Amino acid sequence: MKDAILRVRNLKTYFFTRRGIIKAVDGIDFDLLESECLCLVGESGCGKTVTALSILGLIDSPPGRIVGGEIYYHDVDLLGCPRDQLRHIRGKEIAMVFQDAQSALNPVFTIGNQIVEQVKLHLEVNDREAKGRAIGLLEEVGIPSPEKAFSYYPHQLSGGMKQRAMIAMSLSCAPQLLIADEPTTAVDVTIKAQILDIFHRLKDNRQMSILFITHEFGVVSEIGDRIAVMYAGRLAEIATTSELLNNPKHPYTTGLLKCLPDITRERDRLESIPGTVPSLIDPPGGCLFHPRCDKAVAICREEQPPPLAVGDGHTVFCHLYS
Amino acid sequence: MGFTIEESVYKPETGQFITKTITGERQHPLGTDNKGRDLLAMLISGARISLQVGLFATGIAIALGTLIGVTSAYLGGKVDNALMRFTDIMMTFPFFLLLVLIVFIFGPNLVFIVLVIGLTGWTGTARLVRSEALSLRTREFIMASKALGASSGRIILAHLIPNVISLIIVIATLSIPGVILAEAALSFIGLGDPTVASWGMILRAGQQSLDTTWWVAVAPGVMLFLTVLAFNFLGDGLRDAFDPRSSV
Repeated sequence: MKDAILRVRNLKTYFFTRRGIIKAVDGIDFDLLESECLCLVGESGCGKTVTALSILGLIDSPPGRIVGGEIYYHDVDLLGCPRDQLRHIRGKEIAMVFQDAQSALNPVFTIGNQIVEQVKLHLEVNDREAKGRAIGLLEEVGIPSPEKAFSYYPHQLSGGMKQRAMIAMSLSCAPQLLIADEPTTAVDVTIKAQILDIFHRLKDNRQMSILFITHEFGVVSEIGDRIAVMYAGRLAEIATTSELLNNPKHPYTTGLLKCLPDITRERDRLESIPGTVPSLIDPPGGCLFHPRCDKAVAICREEQPPPLAVGDGHTVFCHLYS
Repeated sequence: MGFTIEESVYKPETGQFITKTITGERQHPLGTDNKGRDLLAMLISGARISLQVGLFATGIAIALGTLIGVTSAYLGGKVDNALMRFTDIMMTFPFFLLLVLIVFIFGPNLVFIVLVIGLTGWTGTARLVRSEALSLRTREFIMASKALGASSGRIILAHLIPNVISLIIVIATLSIPGVILAEAALSFIGLGDPTVASWGMILRAGQQSLDTTWWVAVAPGVMLFLTVLAFNFLGDGLRDAFDPRSSV
């Protein structure tokens, strides 16, 4: 068994707004193991990004606040450590790749300049070493003629190239853990395949751990070692990729998988899960999924389901299996 | 800064005395004023004073305004509130009263006039920069650089300020002629430093004898006009040069 590089325990991140308290993340637990890729899957607004931002302490406060739980990176308590220490962990130990590289790069500096600054922020290197490193990184993420690309401004690059430059920037200090927030959502399919290929190589060559946030099962099956399905700020199910895709237990997971188009099936219409994600200000009692669940029974309305082990490393939060 | 002229040719304090005013000849191309001082020499000497006032006062105002605006926008919350209310107070504070007070206490010294204009003139800049920085703050690259370990000071200096630089240049180019005019106005109403011959001072001197020596008032006026125009062109050029998109 590999060691856990990141341990999240009972994380609760709430947003205190005028309309009420939004429980964006309401008590989730997971471990991220060394050189493992854990995919966080769920609909829009289910708390995937908030989870990622909580790990790095980037929740805007006010209105947001982490009201409970623990996050450990190795032995460092990320929620309790001093801000200075957290700042040195950000970028150097844990880096993040954002969804929209267009807006995640500073428009007034060349990408080379931005990577160099990033390198110099955490490492004691001179300008020439930093430049060499930056060009090496641009090459590693598959940017053609990296010496030329070094002096390009973000708007001179295509969307896929920008996403690569963003990844190169986050890799600049060789972090052990990479949090990728939907890095393939804003790019087209061929670029998506190439970006996923980069992540594969990072895992194989650098032994990096990756927390990969996405809402696409196609991407998940491509890159994930394990999958955690989130629903309305809580975990629904967590299992290895093949186990979850072949043997889904939670009605929400099965529903999600049914929504996928299948080329071998002869059907006119795609299936969908009836209803919408509940309001997080005034959530339903018990299991948050019960209003949309066709298998819901009486207890689902009253009690929040506890984690239930249903197989090797397969945990589901559903009363049907108790 | 600007042109220098030989002290022997022209002394602004004393000047050469000529019995009557003249409108132009080889020795005095722009003529002289009613005290017989050469107008061209006075304009050149005044340019130095007026431009110094414009640049230094604007420099102080822009630096303060940018720092306060960006800090206010980036930190938000209570800091933002406190800084913006302070800006409101500064905006409503009668700047002329302060100036009269300063002139009364310390005497009409150019350094104090520049400091007062600079230290009271940052409010508009702070407001404009803040509103621009507020929208920048929510952009993802700020979050990204925070996620990659940048400190607040670094984000303000390396990410926010370079992104508002084009706005700052526009404000500065509009503000420099404004400050020059403000100093001219002060001189005109008699609050200026009488030991230096700024364009405003020359204008004031010329206005008193407009019927006989009209050119004395018109020449500094034309210089002020050309300076304002020149700074506007400079601003346009700099803004284009700073915008990475325009070089493609």
